[in-house]
Amino acid sequence: MASPMPTLLVIPTGIGCEQGGYAGDALPAARLLAAASGCLITHPNVMNGAALYWSDPRIQYVEGSALNRFASGALGLRPVRRQRLGLLLDGGMEPELRQRHLQVVDGCRATLGLEIGPVITTDTPLGVSLSQGASGASWGQLERPDVLLRAGEHLLAQGATAIAVVARFPEDPGSEALAAYRQGSGVDGLAGAEAVISHLLSSHLGIPCAHAPALSPLPLDPALDPRAAGEELGYTFLPCVLVGLSRAPQLVPLEAASPAVLADPQLLGRDQLGAVVAPAGALGGEAVLACAELGVPLTTVANPCLLDVTAAALGLEAIAASSYAEAAGLVLALREGLSPDALRRPFPRPFAPGLA
Amino acid sequence: MRLEPLELRLLRQGGPLLDQVRQALAAHGRPLRWAITAVEPSPAGPVLVVEAVLVIEDDL
Repeated sequence: MASPMPTLLVIPTGIGCEQGGYAGDALPAARLLAAASGCLITHPNVMNGAALYWSDPRIQYVEGSALNRFASGALGLRPVRRQRLGLLLDGGMEPELRQRHLQVVDGCRATLGLEIGPVITTDTPLGVSLSQGASGASWGQLERPDVLLRAGEHLLAQGATAIAVVARFPEDPGSEALAAYRQGSGVDGLAGAEAVISHLLSSHLGIPCAHAPALSPLPLDPALDPRAAGEELGYTFLPCVLVGLSRAPQLVPLEAASPAVLADPQLLGRDQLGAVVAPAGALGGEAVLACAELGVPLTTVANPCLLDVTAAALGLEAIAASSYAEAAGLVLALREGLSPDALRRPFPRPFAPGLA
Repeated sequence: MRLEPLELRLLRQGGPLLDQVRQALAAHGRPLRWAITAVEPSPAGPVLVVEAVLVIEDDL
C-alpha cells in the first residue's frame, strides 16, 4: 500500500450534522478514513463520545482552533507517545459533581495508565452561558475568560503539556431543544460554548486543550437516540477528553521553529495534506477554506445539517461523496495516486486540448 | 478581556475568501471562532453571513 497520506476530517460542532452532530457519532467514519489515509487529523467533536472513545495511533486529535492554525500553515503537529494532562475544574461546580470528575481521573490513571495531574479548581465560577446564532448554530459565552486563562497558565507552569477543562454548564432538562437532541433531531446546544472555551485556552497557551461539560445526570429516556447514548452512560463527559488528549500531538509554531525542528521527519505540516473531508453544507469554516485555497483536494460528504454553505455557493472545487464510506474510497484512491474521475461513470468527456 | 458574539454581513469580493473574512472580523476584535453560516444573493453580488465570537481587550 502507498505511504500514509495525511487527511483532514472536519465536522463542525453545534450545527446539527446527522453524522457527527451527537456524541462522537462520527467516530466510525473517522476510523474508516484513518484506515484509508493512514493518517487522519481531526478534532474533538468527531472523536468525543463522552464515556465512549477510541484510540488509534493513525488519528491525530487536534482541538478546533489549533486545527485552524495548522490548516493556515502557522502550526505543525508532532506526534507524541503521551501527554502529561492537567485538569482544570470550574469553581462553579457542586462538590459532588467535582468528586465524580476526580473519580474519572482516578479511573483513567488506574485502568488506562494515563498520566494526569496537576489539577486545579478555579477560585471563581467561569460563568458559562449558552446561545444560538441566527442560523440556529449553537454558540456560547464565558463570563470570566480571564479566570480560565489564569488557571490554564498555572497548570502550564506546573508542567502540564495538555489541558482538559471541565466547566459547569447551565441546565434545562425540560427544554424542547434538549428533548429534540436526545431523540436525534436537534442541535447539540452545548457544543458552541464548549468550542469557545477550548479555542480560547488552546490559542492562549499553545498546547492541546479540550473540554467536557459538567451537568447533572438526566432522567432516563427510553426513546434515547443511539447517537446520543454515549453521553448518558456515566456521570461525566470526561473520559473521552482525557483519552483523546493523552496522545494529542504537540503544537509546533512554525514561524519561530529552528531548522532542526522543521527537519524533523515526524513533523506534520499542512503542505503534506493530501485531502480534506467536510460536510457538503458546512464548508465556511477556517480550516476548510484554508485547505481549499491551498489546493488540497476537497471531498464533500452528504451529511445534512442546519447550514447550506456549499462548494457551489463559495466557488470552491470539490469532489462530492454520498457517504463517508464513499469518501474513504476517494481518499484511498488519492493515496494510491488514482484520479477519482476514473472511478465514476459516465466517464468525464474526452480531454480536449486547448489551442496554442 | 471579554467575549462578544457578532453577526457580520459581507459582500463577497473577488479572490480568496479567507482574507476577506479575517479582515472584516479584525475590524471588530480578535476573532476567536467564526464560520460563514449562509451565502445570500443580493443585487450587488453574494453576501456572506458570518457568525463569530470575538475577544475584546478592554482598555486598562
